[in-house]
Amino acid sequence: MKEYVIELHNVKKIYQVGATQVFALNGVSMSVERGEFIAIMGPSGSGKSTLLNMIGCLDKPTSGRVIINSVDTSHLSDKELTTLRRDTIGFIFQQYNLIPTLTAFENVELPMIFKNVSRAERERKAKELLALVGLEKEINRKPKELSGGQQQRVAIARALANNPSILLCDEPTGNLDTKSGKAVMDIIKNLNIEKGVTVVLVTHDPSIAEYANRVVRIRDGMLEE
Amino acid sequence: MYFELARRNLMRNKARSFLAMLGIIIGVMAVASIGIFGESLKATVLEGFEDVANEIIVIPSYSHGYTSISKEIVFKMEKIPYVDKYFPIKSHQSVVEYKSKKGYSVVYGMEEDSVEDLFKAEKGSIRLKGHCVVGSGVAERFGVRVGSKIKIDGREFRVSAILREEGARFDINPNNAIFISIDDFNRLYDEEYSMVIVKVKDISDIELFKESVDKIINSREEKVSIFEMRIILERIDEVFKQVTIFLMAIAGVSLLVAGVSILNIMLMSTLERTKEIGVMRAIGAYRETILKIFLLEALILGITGSIIGGALSLAGGYAICMIVLQSAKYVLAPSSILYIFEGILFGVATALLSGLYPAWKASNLEPIEALRYE
Repeated sequence: MKEYVIELHNVKKIYQVGATQVFALNGVSMSVERGEFIAIMGPSGSGKSTLLNMIGCLDKPTSGRVIINSVDTSHLSDKELTTLRRDTIGFIFQQYNLIPTLTAFENVELPMIFKNVSRAERERKAKELLALVGLEKEINRKPKELSGGQQQRVAIARALANNPSILLCDEPTGNLDTKSGKAVMDIIKNLNIEKGVTVVLVTHDPSIAEYANRVVRIRDGMLEE
Repeated sequence: MYFELARRNLMRNKARSFLAMLGIIIGVMAVASIGIFGESLKATVLEGFEDVANEIIVIPSYSHGYTSISKEIVFKMEKIPYVDKYFPIKSHQSVVEYKSKKGYSVVYGMEEDSVEDLFKAEKGSIRLKGHCVVGSGVAERFGVRVGSKIKIDGREFRVSAILREEGARFDINPNNAIFISIDDFNRLYDEEYSMVIVKVKDISDIELFKESVDKIINSREEKVSIFEMRIILERIDEVFKQVTIFLMAIAGVSLLVAGVSILNIMLMSTLERTKEIGVMRAIGAYRETILKIFLLEALILGITGSIIGGALSLAGGYAICMIVLQSAKYVLAPSSILYIFEGILFGVATALLSGLYPAWKASNLEPIEALRYE
Protein backbone atom coordinates (compact mmCIF):
# COMPACT_ATOMS: atom_id res chain seq x y z
CA MET A 1 0.00 0.00 0.00
CA LYS A 2 1.21 3.43 -0.85
CA GLU A 3 1.90 5.86 1.96
CA TYR A 4 0.92 9.45 1.25
CA VAL A 5 2.57 12.21 3.23
CA ILE A 6 0.63 14.96 1.45
CA GLU A 7 -2.96 14.77 0.24
CA LEU A 8 -4.96 17.65 -1.17
CA HIS A 9 -8.68 17.23 -1.82
CA ASN A 10 -10.37 19.81 -4.01
CA VAL A 11 -8.51 22.71 -2.43
CA LYS A 12 -9.74 26.18 -3.33
CA LYS A 13 -8.30 29.51 -2.35
CA ILE A 14 -10.36 32.54 -3.23
CA TYR A 15 -9.24 36.12 -2.65
CA GLN A 16 -11.74 38.92 -2.67
CA VAL A 17 -10.27 41.83 -4.61
CA GLY A 18 -12.80 44.63 -4.60
CA ALA A 19 -15.99 43.27 -6.14
CA THR A 20 -14.31 40.41 -8.03
CA GLN A 21 -13.22 37.02 -6.74
CA VAL A 22 -9.78 35.76 -7.67
CA PHE A 23 -9.30 31.99 -7.71
CA ALA A 24 -5.67 31.48 -6.66
CA LEU A 25 -6.39 27.76 -6.42
CA ASN A 26 -9.44 26.40 -8.14
CA GLY A 27 -10.02 22.87 -6.93
CA VAL A 28 -6.61 21.27 -6.67
CA SER A 29 -6.39 17.60 -5.77
CA MET A 30 -3.07 15.80 -5.56
CA SER A 31 -1.14 13.39 -3.40
CA VAL A 32 2.54 12.89 -2.73
CA GLU A 33 4.07 9.61 -1.62
CA ARG A 34 6.72 9.34 1.04
CA GLY A 35 10.15 9.80 -0.50
CA GLU A 36 8.93 11.42 -3.69
CA PHE A 37 10.63 14.46 -5.25
CA ILE A 38 8.02 16.63 -6.91
CA ALA A 39 8.52 19.80 -8.91
CA ILE A 40 5.61 22.19 -9.28
CA MET A 41 5.96 24.31 -12.38
CA GLY A 42 3.95 27.10 -13.79
CA PRO A 43 4.08 30.69 -14.95
CA SER A 44 4.06 33.47 -12.38
CA GLY A 45 0.63 34.08 -10.90
CA SER A 46 -0.42 30.51 -11.66
CA GLY A 47 -0.89 29.71 -7.96
CA LYS A 48 2.20 27.56 -7.44
CA SER A 49 3.40 29.49 -4.40
CA THR A 50 -0.10 29.49 -2.92
CA LEU A 51 -0.16 25.73 -3.38
CA LEU A 52 3.16 25.39 -1.58
CA ASN A 53 1.91 27.56 1.28
CA MET A 54 -1.17 25.33 1.60
CA ILE A 55 1.04 22.25 1.90
CA GLY A 56 3.24 24.11 4.38
CA CYS A 57 0.25 24.97 6.58
CA LEU A 58 1.09 28.65 6.31
CA ASP A 59 -2.16 29.42 4.55
CA LYS A 60 -5.64 27.99 5.03
CA PRO A 61 -7.77 26.92 2.07
CA THR A 62 -11.12 28.59 1.49
CA SER A 63 -12.52 25.11 0.96
CA GLY A 64 -11.20 21.59 0.52
CA ARG A 65 -8.90 19.55 2.74
CA VAL A 66 -5.14 19.43 3.25
CA ILE A 67 -3.91 16.24 4.89
CA ILE A 68 -0.32 16.06 6.10
CA ASN A 69 0.96 12.70 7.45
CA SER A 70 -2.68 11.54 7.72
CA VAL A 71 -3.63 14.58 9.82
CA ASP A 72 -6.46 16.71 8.45
CA THR A 73 -5.17 20.25 9.01
CA SER A 74 -8.46 22.05 8.53
CA HIS A 75 -9.45 21.57 12.17
CA LEU A 76 -6.11 22.46 13.72
CA SER A 77 -5.57 25.57 15.81
CA ASP A 78 -2.82 28.08 15.11
CA LYS A 79 -0.72 26.46 17.82
CA GLU A 80 -1.22 22.94 16.44
CA LEU A 81 -0.38 24.12 12.92
CA THR A 82 2.79 25.75 14.24
CA THR A 83 3.81 22.52 15.96
CA LEU A 84 3.12 20.61 12.75
CA ARG A 85 5.30 23.01 10.74
CA ARG A 86 8.04 22.86 13.33
CA ASP A 87 8.24 19.08 13.53
CA THR A 88 7.25 17.86 10.07
CA ILE A 89 8.05 20.54 7.53
CA GLY A 90 11.27 22.24 6.49
CA PHE A 91 11.06 25.49 4.51
CA ILE A 92 13.57 26.77 1.98
CA PHE A 93 12.75 30.20 0.56
CA GLN A 94 13.99 31.98 -2.53
CA GLN A 95 15.39 34.81 -0.40
CA TYR A 96 17.00 32.47 2.17
CA ASN A 97 15.23 34.37 4.98
CA LEU A 98 17.88 33.84 7.61
CA ILE A 99 17.63 35.89 10.81
CA PRO A 100 20.21 38.65 10.23
CA THR A 101 21.21 39.06 13.89
CA LEU A 102 22.04 35.39 14.35
CA THR A 103 25.13 33.50 13.18
CA ALA A 104 24.86 30.56 10.79
CA PHE A 105 25.11 28.22 13.78
CA GLU A 106 22.40 30.07 15.70
CA ASN A 107 20.11 30.19 12.69
CA VAL A 108 20.28 26.40 12.47
CA GLU A 109 19.78 26.17 16.21
CA LEU A 110 16.62 28.33 16.17
CA PRO A 111 14.00 25.72 15.15
CA MET A 112 15.42 23.40 17.83
CA ILE A 113 15.12 26.17 20.43
CA PHE A 114 11.48 26.52 19.42
CA LYS A 115 11.19 22.77 20.08
CA ASN A 116 12.96 22.94 23.46
CA VAL A 117 15.78 20.64 22.39
CA SER A 118 18.59 20.48 24.94
CA ARG A 119 21.63 22.70 24.41
CA ALA A 120 24.07 19.81 23.93
CA GLU A 121 21.84 18.12 21.37
CA ARG A 122 21.30 21.41 19.56
CA GLU A 123 25.00 22.00 19.32
CA ARG A 124 25.71 18.51 18.05
CA LYS A 125 22.93 18.61 15.47
CA ALA A 126 23.68 22.14 14.22
CA LYS A 127 27.33 21.26 13.67
CA GLU A 128 26.42 18.04 11.94
CA LEU A 129 23.98 19.79 9.59
CA LEU A 130 26.36 22.63 8.76
CA ALA A 131 29.02 20.04 7.96
CA LEU A 132 26.48 18.27 5.75
CA VAL A 133 26.02 21.43 3.67
CA GLY A 134 29.78 22.05 3.65
CA LEU A 135 29.86 25.09 5.94
CA GLU A 136 31.76 23.78 8.98
CA LYS A 137 34.18 26.70 8.67
CA GLU A 138 31.50 29.38 8.46
CA ILE A 139 29.44 28.47 11.52
CA ASN A 140 30.12 31.73 13.37
CA ARG A 141 29.48 34.04 10.43
CA LYS A 142 26.45 36.29 10.23
CA PRO A 143 24.27 35.98 7.08
CA LYS A 144 25.59 39.23 5.60
CA GLU A 145 29.13 37.81 5.73
CA LEU A 146 28.08 34.84 3.58
CA SER A 147 27.50 34.54 -0.16
CA GLY A 148 24.03 33.82 -1.49
CA GLY A 149 24.85 30.16 -2.08
CA GLN A 150 26.26 29.82 1.43
CA GLN A 151 23.19 31.50 2.91
CA GLN A 152 20.92 29.10 1.07
CA ARG A 153 22.95 26.16 2.38
CA VAL A 154 22.53 27.52 5.94
CA ALA A 155 18.81 27.74 5.19
CA ILE A 156 18.82 24.07 4.13
CA ALA A 157 20.59 23.12 7.35
CA ARG A 158 18.01 25.13 9.31
CA ALA A 159 15.15 23.43 7.44
CA LEU A 160 16.56 20.03 8.46
CA ALA A 161 17.08 20.90 12.14
CA ASN A 162 14.01 19.09 13.50
CA ASN A 163 14.26 16.10 11.09
CA PRO A 164 11.26 17.00 8.92
CA SER A 165 9.65 14.41 6.71
CA ILE A 166 8.78 17.06 4.10
CA LEU A 167 11.04 19.69 2.58
CA LEU A 168 9.25 22.58 0.83
CA CYS A 169 11.40 24.67 -1.49
CA ASP A 170 10.12 27.87 -3.08
CA GLU A 171 12.43 28.76 -6.00
CA PRO A 172 15.49 27.76 -3.94
CA THR A 173 17.92 28.68 -6.72
CA GLY A 174 16.05 31.76 -7.94
CA ASN A 175 18.63 34.17 -6.56
CA LEU A 176 21.72 32.07 -7.22
CA ASP A 177 24.20 31.73 -10.06
CA THR A 178 24.30 28.41 -11.91
CA LYS A 179 27.20 26.96 -9.94
CA SER A 180 25.81 27.77 -6.48
CA GLY A 181 22.38 26.71 -7.68
CA LYS A 182 23.71 23.34 -8.70
CA ALA A 183 25.45 22.89 -5.34
CA VAL A 184 22.19 23.64 -3.54
CA MET A 185 20.20 21.30 -5.79
CA ASP A 186 22.73 18.50 -5.31
CA ILE A 187 22.33 18.76 -1.56
CA ILE A 188 18.53 18.67 -1.85
CA LYS A 189 18.65 15.70 -4.22
CA ASN A 190 21.00 13.87 -1.88
CA LEU A 191 18.71 14.41 1.06
CA ASN A 192 15.89 12.96 -0.99
CA ILE A 193 17.84 9.89 -2.03
CA GLU A 194 19.85 9.15 1.08
CA LYS A 195 17.53 10.25 3.86
CA GLY A 196 14.24 9.67 2.11
CA VAL A 197 12.99 13.20 2.73
CA THR A 198 9.95 14.04 0.63
CA VAL A 199 10.71 17.14 -1.44
CA VAL A 200 8.19 19.50 -3.00
CA LEU A 201 9.86 22.17 -5.07
CA VAL A 202 8.37 25.16 -6.83
CA THR A 203 10.26 26.49 -9.85
CA HIS A 204 9.83 27.88 -13.31
CA ASP A 205 13.29 26.68 -14.40
CA PRO A 206 13.04 23.41 -16.43
CA SER A 207 16.66 22.48 -15.62
CA ILE A 208 15.86 22.52 -11.91
CA ALA A 209 12.68 20.53 -12.50
CA GLU A 210 14.86 17.77 -13.95
CA TYR A 211 15.99 16.83 -10.46
CA ALA A 212 12.43 15.72 -9.65
CA ASN A 213 10.86 12.27 -10.14
CA ARG A 214 7.59 13.88 -11.12
CA VAL A 215 6.63 17.29 -12.45
CA VAL A 216 3.25 18.83 -11.74
CA ARG A 217 2.15 21.76 -13.88
CA ILE A 218 -0.20 24.40 -12.66
CA ARG A 219 -2.02 27.10 -14.62
CA ASP A 220 -4.72 29.50 -13.43
CA GLY A 221 -5.04 27.69 -10.14
CA MET A 222 -5.62 24.27 -11.70
CA LEU A 223 -3.30 21.31 -12.19
CA GLU A 224 -2.63 19.96 -15.68
CA GLU A 225 -0.83 16.63 -15.53
CA MET B 1 18.75 32.51 23.75
CA TYR B 2 15.56 34.57 23.41
CA PHE B 3 17.26 37.13 25.62
CA GLU B 4 20.28 37.13 23.33
CA LEU B 5 18.02 37.49 20.29
CA ALA B 6 16.22 40.43 21.93
CA ARG B 7 19.50 42.04 22.94
CA ARG B 8 20.92 41.79 19.43
CA ASN B 9 17.77 43.23 17.94
CA LEU B 10 18.20 46.28 20.16
CA MET B 11 21.85 46.56 19.12
CA ARG B 12 20.80 46.67 15.46
CA ASN B 13 19.84 50.29 15.82
CA LYS B 14 21.90 51.49 18.72
CA ALA B 15 21.01 55.18 18.48
CA ARG B 16 17.31 54.48 18.44
CA SER B 17 17.47 52.05 21.37
CA PHE B 18 19.63 54.46 23.32
CA LEU B 19 17.21 57.34 22.80
CA ALA B 20 14.30 55.23 23.96
CA MET B 21 16.33 54.20 26.98
CA LEU B 22 17.28 57.81 27.63
CA GLY B 23 13.59 58.59 28.01
CA ILE B 24 13.29 55.94 30.71
CA ILE B 25 16.51 57.14 32.36
CA ILE B 26 15.21 60.71 32.58
CA GLY B 27 11.76 59.59 33.71
CA VAL B 28 13.02 57.32 36.47
CA MET B 29 15.55 59.92 37.54
CA ALA B 30 12.85 62.59 37.79
CA VAL B 31 10.43 60.41 39.74
CA ALA B 32 13.04 59.00 42.12
CA SER B 33 14.81 62.36 42.67
CA ILE B 34 11.52 64.01 43.57
CA GLY B 35 10.73 61.08 45.86
CA ILE B 36 14.05 61.47 47.64
CA PHE B 37 13.46 65.20 47.93
CA GLY B 38 9.96 64.73 49.36
CA GLU B 39 11.26 62.25 51.89
CA SER B 40 14.10 64.58 52.87
CA LEU B 41 11.66 67.48 53.20
CA LYS B 42 9.49 65.44 55.55
CA ALA B 43 12.48 64.29 57.57
CA THR B 44 13.71 67.88 57.86
CA VAL B 45 10.32 69.11 59.08
CA LEU B 46 9.94 66.26 61.55
CA GLU B 47 13.49 66.72 62.75
CA GLY B 48 13.57 67.22 66.51
CA PHE B 49 10.16 65.66 66.94
CA GLU B 50 11.48 62.11 67.03
CA ASP B 51 11.67 62.03 70.82
CA VAL B 52 8.19 63.43 71.40
CA ALA B 53 6.31 60.49 69.93
CA ASN B 54 5.86 59.04 73.42
CA GLU B 55 4.46 62.33 74.78
CA ILE B 56 0.91 62.86 75.84
CA ILE B 57 -0.54 66.26 76.67
CA VAL B 58 -3.30 66.30 79.25
CA ILE B 59 -5.40 69.46 79.29
CA PRO B 60 -8.62 70.43 81.10
CA SER B 61 -11.79 69.33 79.37
CA TYR B 62 -13.01 72.75 78.25
CA SER B 63 -16.09 71.29 76.59
CA HIS B 64 -17.25 70.01 79.97
CA GLY B 65 -16.61 73.33 81.70
CA TYR B 66 -13.22 72.57 83.21
CA THR B 67 -10.62 75.32 82.81
CA SER B 68 -7.92 73.81 84.98
CA ILE B 69 -6.66 70.52 86.36
CA SER B 70 -6.94 70.21 90.12
CA LYS B 71 -4.15 69.09 92.43
CA GLU B 72 -6.15 65.94 93.26
CA ILE B 73 -6.32 64.93 89.62
CA VAL B 74 -2.59 65.54 89.15
CA PHE B 75 -1.99 63.47 92.26
CA LYS B 76 -4.11 60.62 90.89
CA MET B 77 -2.40 60.79 87.54
CA GLU B 78 0.98 60.50 89.17
CA LYS B 79 -0.03 57.07 90.47
CA ILE B 80 -0.80 55.64 87.05
CA PRO B 81 1.85 53.12 86.01
CA TYR B 82 3.38 53.28 82.47
CA VAL B 83 4.35 56.88 83.17
CA ASP B 84 8.04 57.50 82.72
CA LYS B 85 8.17 61.27 83.25
CA TYR B 86 5.54 63.64 84.15
CA PHE B 87 5.50 67.47 84.06
CA PRO B 88 2.58 69.31 85.66
CA ILE B 89 2.49 72.89 84.43
CA LYS B 90 0.73 76.04 85.61
CA SER B 91 0.54 79.11 83.41
CA HIS B 92 -0.51 82.71 83.54
CA GLN B 93 -0.50 85.66 81.20
CA SER B 94 1.61 88.14 83.14
CA VAL B 95 2.91 91.70 82.97
CA VAL B 96 6.69 91.73 82.62
CA GLU B 97 8.89 94.74 83.30
CA TYR B 98 12.58 95.25 82.65
CA LYS B 99 14.10 98.69 83.02
CA SER B 100 11.80 100.92 81.00
CA LYS B 101 10.24 98.14 78.98
CA LYS B 102 6.90 96.66 79.87
CA GLY B 103 4.92 93.91 78.16
CA TYR B 104 3.01 90.68 78.41
CA SER B 105 4.38 87.20 78.43
CA VAL B 106 3.21 83.72 79.39
CA VAL B 107 4.68 82.67 82.70
CA TYR B 108 4.88 78.95 83.40
CA GLY B 109 5.22 77.47 86.85
CA MET B 110 7.15 74.23 86.60
CA GLU B 111 9.52 72.03 88.53
CA GLU B 112 13.16 72.82 87.90
CA ASP B 113 13.99 69.37 86.60
CA SER B 114 10.99 69.53 84.21
CA VAL B 115 12.44 72.62 82.56
CA GLU B 116 15.82 70.96 82.40
CA ASP B 117 14.27 67.89 80.82
CA LEU B 118 12.29 69.71 78.17
CA PHE B 119 14.58 72.59 77.18
CA LYS B 120 18.22 73.50 76.79
CA ALA B 121 19.91 76.65 78.09
CA GLU B 122 21.73 78.79 75.54
CA LYS B 123 23.33 80.98 78.18
CA GLY B 124 23.59 80.52 81.94
CA SER B 125 22.33 77.45 83.74
CA ILE B 126 18.77 76.54 84.56
CA ARG B 127 17.87 77.42 88.19
CA LEU B 128 14.38 78.28 89.31
CA LYS B 129 14.44 78.87 93.06
CA GLY B 130 13.99 82.64 93.33
CA HIS B 131 15.14 82.86 89.74
CA CYS B 132 13.54 82.65 86.34
CA VAL B 133 14.48 81.22 82.96
CA VAL B 134 13.48 83.15 79.87
CA GLY B 135 12.94 82.09 76.30
CA SER B 136 15.10 83.51 73.52
CA GLY B 137 12.27 85.63 72.12
CA VAL B 138 11.55 87.21 75.48
CA ALA B 139 15.25 87.89 76.05
CA GLU B 140 15.46 89.65 72.73
CA ARG B 141 12.25 91.63 73.17
CA PHE B 142 13.17 93.00 76.61
CA GLY B 143 16.92 93.00 76.05
CA VAL B 144 17.57 90.93 79.18
CA ARG B 145 20.76 89.00 79.88
CA VAL B 146 21.73 86.32 82.32
CA GLY B 147 21.81 88.04 85.70
CA SER B 148 19.32 90.78 84.76
CA LYS B 149 16.52 91.43 87.22
CA ILE B 150 13.02 91.42 85.73
CA LYS B 151 9.67 92.09 87.38
CA ILE B 152 6.82 89.64 86.89
CA ASP B 153 3.55 91.17 88.06
CA GLY B 154 5.51 93.35 90.45
CA ARG B 155 7.74 90.64 91.91
CA GLU B 156 11.44 90.62 91.11
CA PHE B 157 13.28 87.62 89.64
CA ARG B 158 16.89 87.25 88.58
CA VAL B 159 17.39 85.60 85.15
CA SER B 160 19.42 82.41 85.58
CA ALA B 161 19.37 81.24 81.98
CA ILE B 162 18.24 82.08 78.47
CA LEU B 163 16.88 79.15 76.52
CA ARG B 164 18.06 78.04 73.13
CA GLU B 165 15.72 78.99 70.34
CA GLU B 166 13.61 76.02 69.40
CA GLY B 167 11.10 75.07 66.77
CA ALA B 168 7.53 75.49 68.00
CA ARG B 169 6.22 72.65 70.09
CA PHE B 170 2.58 71.77 70.19
CA ASP B 171 2.18 72.36 73.90
CA ILE B 172 4.50 75.16 74.99
CA ASN B 173 6.25 77.77 72.92
CA PRO B 174 9.42 78.24 74.99
CA ASN B 175 10.71 81.14 72.90
CA ASN B 176 8.09 83.55 74.19
CA ALA B 177 7.77 82.22 77.72
CA ILE B 178 9.21 82.75 81.17
CA PHE B 179 9.63 79.82 83.54
CA ILE B 180 9.51 80.11 87.34
CA SER B 181 9.21 77.50 90.06
CA ILE B 182 5.82 76.17 91.14
CA ASP B 183 6.39 77.64 94.63
CA ASP B 184 7.06 81.12 93.25
CA PHE B 185 4.10 80.76 90.91
CA ASN B 186 1.86 79.87 93.85
CA ARG B 187 3.02 82.98 95.70
CA LEU B 188 2.03 85.15 92.71
CA TYR B 189 -1.18 83.50 91.60
CA ASP B 190 -3.85 81.30 93.04
CA GLU B 191 -4.32 78.99 90.10
CA GLU B 192 -4.51 75.28 89.43
CA TYR B 193 -2.66 73.33 86.76
CA SER B 194 -3.25 74.23 83.12
CA MET B 195 -1.70 71.12 81.60
CA VAL B 196 0.30 68.02 82.31
CA ILE B 197 2.85 66.68 79.88
CA VAL B 198 3.28 62.93 80.32
CA LYS B 199 6.00 60.80 78.80
CA VAL B 200 5.20 57.10 78.79
CA LYS B 201 7.89 54.43 78.98
CA ASP B 202 6.97 52.96 75.65
CA ILE B 203 4.78 54.10 72.77
CA SER B 204 2.68 50.98 73.20
CA ASP B 205 1.84 52.19 76.73
CA ILE B 206 -0.09 55.18 75.38
CA GLU B 207 -3.32 53.22 75.04
CA LEU B 208 -2.95 51.74 78.54
CA PHE B 209 -2.35 55.19 79.98
CA LYS B 210 -5.45 56.53 78.24
CA GLU B 211 -7.54 53.66 79.59
CA SER B 212 -6.30 54.34 83.11
CA VAL B 213 -7.13 58.05 82.82
CA ASP B 214 -10.64 57.15 81.65
CA LYS B 215 -11.09 54.78 84.59
CA ILE B 216 -9.50 56.79 87.38
CA ILE B 217 -10.14 60.42 86.43
CA ASN B 218 -12.84 60.57 83.79
CA SER B 219 -15.02 57.79 85.22
CA ARG B 220 -18.01 59.97 86.08
CA GLU B 221 -17.40 62.97 83.93
CA GLU B 222 -14.76 63.97 81.41
CA LYS B 223 -12.52 66.22 83.45
CA VAL B 224 -9.43 66.10 81.24
CA SER B 225 -8.77 65.64 77.52
CA ILE B 226 -5.78 63.83 76.10
CA PHE B 227 -3.69 64.74 73.05
CA GLU B 228 -1.25 62.26 71.68
CA MET B 229 1.80 63.73 70.03
CA ARG B 230 2.07 60.52 68.08
CA ILE B 231 -1.17 61.21 66.23
CA ILE B 232 -0.10 64.74 65.37
CA LEU B 233 3.19 63.38 64.04
CA GLU B 234 1.34 60.78 62.04
CA ARG B 235 -0.80 63.46 60.46
CA ILE B 236 2.25 65.52 59.47
CA ASP B 237 3.83 62.40 58.04
CA GLU B 238 0.68 61.72 56.04
CA VAL B 239 0.46 65.25 54.63
CA PHE B 240 4.06 65.11 53.45
CA LYS B 241 3.55 61.72 51.90
CA GLN B 242 0.67 63.17 49.89
CA VAL B 243 2.79 66.13 48.84
CA THR B 244 5.53 63.72 47.73
CA ILE B 245 3.08 61.58 45.77
CA PHE B 246 1.71 64.68 44.07
CA LEU B 247 5.19 65.86 43.08
CA MET B 248 6.11 62.38 41.88
CA ALA B 249 2.98 62.26 39.75
CA ILE B 250 4.11 65.45 38.02
CA ALA B 251 7.55 63.95 37.46
CA GLY B 252 5.74 60.82 36.26
CA VAL B 253 4.63 62.71 33.15
CA SER B 254 8.19 62.43 31.87
CA LEU B 255 7.98 58.68 32.38
CA LEU B 256 4.77 58.67 30.37
CA VAL B 257 6.57 60.42 27.53
CA ALA B 258 9.31 57.79 27.76
CA GLY B 259 6.63 55.11 27.52
CA VAL B 260 5.28 56.67 24.34
CA SER B 261 8.74 56.73 22.81
CA ILE B 262 9.23 53.04 23.58
CA LEU B 263 5.83 52.32 22.08
CA ASN B 264 6.92 54.25 19.00
CA ILE B 265 10.23 52.47 18.41
CA MET B 266 8.77 49.07 19.18
CA LEU B 267 5.99 49.62 16.65
CA MET B 268 8.56 50.67 14.07
CA SER B 269 10.65 47.66 14.89
CA THR B 270 7.63 45.36 14.55
CA LEU B 271 6.94 46.78 11.12
CA GLU B 272 10.56 46.53 9.98
CA ARG B 273 10.85 42.95 11.15
CA THR B 274 7.51 41.75 9.80
CA LYS B 275 9.18 39.36 7.37
CA GLU B 276 11.48 38.00 10.07
CA ILE B 277 8.48 37.36 12.29
CA GLY B 278 6.88 35.50 9.39
CA VAL B 279 10.00 33.34 8.99
CA MET B 280 10.11 32.49 12.67
CA ARG B 281 6.42 31.59 12.67
CA ALA B 282 7.00 29.42 9.59
CA ILE B 283 9.84 27.45 11.13
CA GLY B 284 7.92 26.78 14.32
CA ALA B 285 7.75 29.79 16.67
CA TYR B 286 4.46 30.03 18.56
CA ARG B 287 2.65 33.32 19.00
CA GLU B 288 3.78 33.34 22.63
CA THR B 289 7.39 33.01 21.53
CA ILE B 290 7.15 36.12 19.35
CA LEU B 291 5.37 37.93 22.17
CA LYS B 292 8.13 36.87 24.55
CA ILE B 293 10.94 38.12 22.29
CA PHE B 294 9.34 41.53 21.83
CA LEU B 295 8.45 41.92 25.50
CA LEU B 296 12.02 41.00 26.38
CA GLU B 297 13.24 43.84 24.19
CA ALA B 298 11.00 46.30 26.02
CA LEU B 299 12.11 44.82 29.34
CA ILE B 300 15.79 45.12 28.53
CA LEU B 301 15.28 48.80 27.63
CA GLY B 302 13.18 49.30 30.76
CA ILE B 303 15.42 47.52 33.25
CA THR B 304 18.69 48.96 31.94
CA GLY B 305 17.26 52.47 31.68
CA SER B 306 15.60 52.28 35.08
CA ILE B 307 18.72 51.10 36.86
CA ILE B 308 20.81 53.86 35.30
CA GLY B 309 18.07 56.39 36.08
CA GLY B 310 17.82 55.09 39.63
CA ALA B 311 21.55 55.47 40.16
CA LEU B 312 21.51 58.98 38.69
CA SER B 313 18.56 59.93 40.88
CA LEU B 314 20.90 59.85 43.89
CA ALA B 315 22.77 62.75 42.30
CA GLY B 316 19.48 64.38 41.27
CA GLY B 317 18.00 64.02 44.75
CA TYR B 318 21.21 65.36 46.26
CA ALA B 319 21.12 68.40 43.97
CA ILE B 320 17.46 69.25 44.66
CA CYS B 321 17.93 68.80 48.42
CA MET B 322 21.03 71.01 48.44
CA ILE B 323 19.24 73.73 46.48
CA VAL B 324 15.94 73.70 48.37
CA LEU B 325 16.84 72.44 51.83
CA GLN B 326 20.53 73.40 51.91
CA SER B 327 21.18 69.94 53.33
CA ALA B 328 21.48 66.49 51.87
CA LYS B 329 21.73 64.48 55.04
CA TYR B 330 18.54 62.50 54.42
CA VAL B 331 19.34 61.61 50.78
CA LEU B 332 20.87 58.29 51.79
CA ALA B 333 18.28 57.47 54.46
CA PRO B 334 16.64 54.06 53.93
CA SER B 335 13.24 55.70 53.46
CA SER B 336 14.72 57.83 50.65
CA ILE B 337 16.43 54.87 49.01
CA LEU B 338 13.04 53.21 48.92
CA TYR B 339 11.95 55.84 46.40
CA ILE B 340 14.79 54.79 44.08
CA PHE B 341 13.38 51.29 44.01
CA GLU B 342 9.93 52.72 43.50
CA GLY B 343 11.23 54.77 40.56
CA ILE B 344 12.91 51.71 39.06
CA LEU B 345 9.71 49.74 39.47
CA PHE B 346 7.69 52.44 37.72
CA GLY B 347 10.28 52.63 34.93
CA VAL B 348 10.21 48.88 34.29
CA ALA B 349 6.42 48.81 34.44
CA THR B 350 6.19 51.69 31.95
CA ALA B 351 8.52 49.93 29.51
CA LEU B 352 6.62 46.67 29.86
CA LEU B 353 3.24 48.33 29.34
CA SER B 354 4.54 50.22 26.30
CA GLY B 355 5.99 47.02 24.86
CA LEU B 356 2.77 45.12 25.34
CA TYR B 357 0.86 46.45 22.33
CA PRO B 358 3.69 46.16 19.76
CA ALA B 359 4.49 42.66 21.05
CA TRP B 360 0.86 41.67 20.84
CA LYS B 361 0.66 43.08 17.34
CA ALA B 362 3.81 41.22 16.27
CA SER B 363 2.59 37.93 17.69
CA ASN B 364 -0.76 38.22 15.96
CA LEU B 365 0.62 38.63 12.46
CA GLU B 366 -0.57 35.91 10.12
CA PRO B 367 2.55 33.93 9.12
CA ILE B 368 1.70 34.02 5.42
CA GLU B 369 1.01 37.78 5.41
CA ALA B 370 4.19 38.45 7.33
CA LEU B 371 6.28 36.31 4.96
CA ARG B 372 4.97 38.20 1.95
CA TYR B 373 5.81 41.57 3.50
CA GLU B 374 8.67 43.36 1.77
